[in-house]
Amino acid sequence: MAKRVLLAEDEPNIVESLTFLLERAGFKVEVQSDGRQVVSSAKADAPDVLILDVMLPGLDGYEILRQLRADERSESLPVLMLTAKGQREDRETALEHGADLFMTKPFANSEIVAAVKELASKGME
Amino acid sequence: MVAAILGTRIRQRRREVGVTQAELARQLGISASYLNLIEWNKRKISSPLLSKVTEALGLAPDDLGSASEQRLHESLTEIAHLPPLSALGAEDQRVSELIGRFPGWAKAIAALARSERDAVARAQTLSDRLSNDPFLGETVHRMLTRIASIRSASEILTEFSEVPEERRKRFNRIIHDETRVLSDVGEALVTYLDKAEDADRIVTPVDEVEAVFDMHENHFPEIDEAAGSLAHMLTDPRPISRRDKALALTEERLGPVIADFIGRQGRISTAAARDRARRALIDYAAGAIRMPLQAFILRSRELRYDIEALADAFSAEVEAVCRRLTALPSADDLPRFGYFRANAAGTIMQMHGLQGLITPRYAAACPLWVLYRAQQSPETFIRQRALFPTGARFVFVARARLNGPSGFGKPRHYVTDMIAMTEPDAQHTVYAPEDSAVVEEVGPSCRLCPRLACHHRVEDPITDY
Repeated sequence: MAKRVLLAEDEPNIVESLTFLLERAGFKVEVQSDGRQVVSSAKADAPDVLILDVMLPGLDGYEILRQLRADERSESLPVLMLTAKGQREDRETALEHGADLFMTKPFANSEIVAAVKELASKGME
Repeated sequence: MVAAILGTRIRQRRREVGVTQAELARQLGISASYLNLIEWNKRKISSPLLSKVTEALGLAPDDLGSASEQRLHESLTEIAHLPPLSALGAEDQRVSELIGRFPGWAKAIAALARSERDAVARAQTLSDRLSNDPFLGETVHRMLTRIASIRSASEILTEFSEVPEERRKRFNRIIHDETRVLSDVGEALVTYLDKAEDADRIVTPVDEVEAVFDMHENHFPEIDEAAGSLAHMLTDPRPISRRDKALALTEERLGPVIADFIGRQGRISTAAARDRARRALIDYAAGAIRMPLQAFILRSRELRYDIEALADAFSAEVEAVCRRLTALPSADDLPRFGYFRANAAGTIMQMHGLQGLITPRYAAACPLWVLYRAQQSPETFIRQRALFPTGARFVFVARARLNGPSGFGKPRHYVTDMIAMTEPDAQHTVYAPEDSAVVEEVGPSCRLCPRLACHHRVEDPITDY
């Protein structure tokens, strides 16, 4: 069965590209652009990988991550965090909050697909 | 006038005109050894003797020293003590000699220090802006997001040949749209940075204008004269209306006088400085219309320079009276006043210095000045008898006043106005301290202050005391 990726991103053009790339790599992609919805979807029906943008309307990425890590259903969910700031503090904050990987925009397509594949296989172990 | 510079100047001038020390001493009716002490800045020179010297050497009194030289002296002394330079051992005891013998170099050093200070301030502003400015943060975020969309879509188009036609069109559309947004964002950023650069330049015009006010000792006879002739047109007794009317009259009638004056000031070179000077002189002129010079001098003497009484007599605000006091011409029988205005953060927002009162230009002043304490009891005049480490005594009179709108439950923000005078000058005023009045030890600023045991010290002094 295809692995499921929850893409928490509110930029429609980035969603368009990432969906195309991930589907092409064999993933099933669900999109969520509101922060609060991300938490409930991820808890209710955990995806194999969550791609989480730091700046989301409703609830920011760090807070989402904190809430997910505090719940046993999603405490070990593999998370790839995306940010457009890319400063060292952002990376440290993301990793402190429990992100598995951290990537800055603009990203190379091949890198993000490889990262999602890596996280998906990690979830299998 | 700086006695220390005077001696050097006299010696220099005497040599220029080819007069021996003995010869000049004879003309002055003093001994050659006494003249020698004066020339080497070891003795102060009295006013009558100074007049004789200038006459004997064919000079105008101002040629031997002026307020701007005093300021230069203070600046150079402070520069010698700046942390990065203090280790170099600049001979701060010989500043007068430097100014006397190499006035051009002395000015060049001060100008360099000023431009260095401005550059540092500008760099700090920019650095603050880069890390904290919400507009820049948001703009950078938007740019990176747009670039991410463009990069990802264009990679798809170049790397995958099998993209269906419909999706290919959509990715092309994304690149097209995002590129347009990106160029708009870029343009907004350029406009913003251009404006920011203009705002930062204000640092220097302040100095340009200050230099002109210093040179004229904050007194502009031609503006006073023109303003005085308009005074009779203020008929309404209410202070605010008089102020507004005076400002309107200034704008309407004195524009050309002010513009002409600024046009003749070589030191004012930038448009921003011209604008600043114009505003400062409009303020000066409006003060001169409301408080015409001769009447102001007369009333000031009668009322012994009581700021509140003068404010009442001329239907003017206290701060306007304070500033007007600093504009009194330099004369033996008139006290000289300095003026400072500070906000609650301790920033000196406006200043007309006073000769001999060292005011740091590169650091905050001493926190013990009543200028700062006045905010603890707003709307009250507080006098301070201030003793400086050099032994100089000044009288400071400060009052904090409400600034800007307020109301019940709303914050109240105060600014403090303070006038400064020497203790001998204060004897002519209502602020003359009684002999029993407490003398408070204060300093110019920690850096220049030898009071090692002071509890309020925030920085070590630069020299070993």
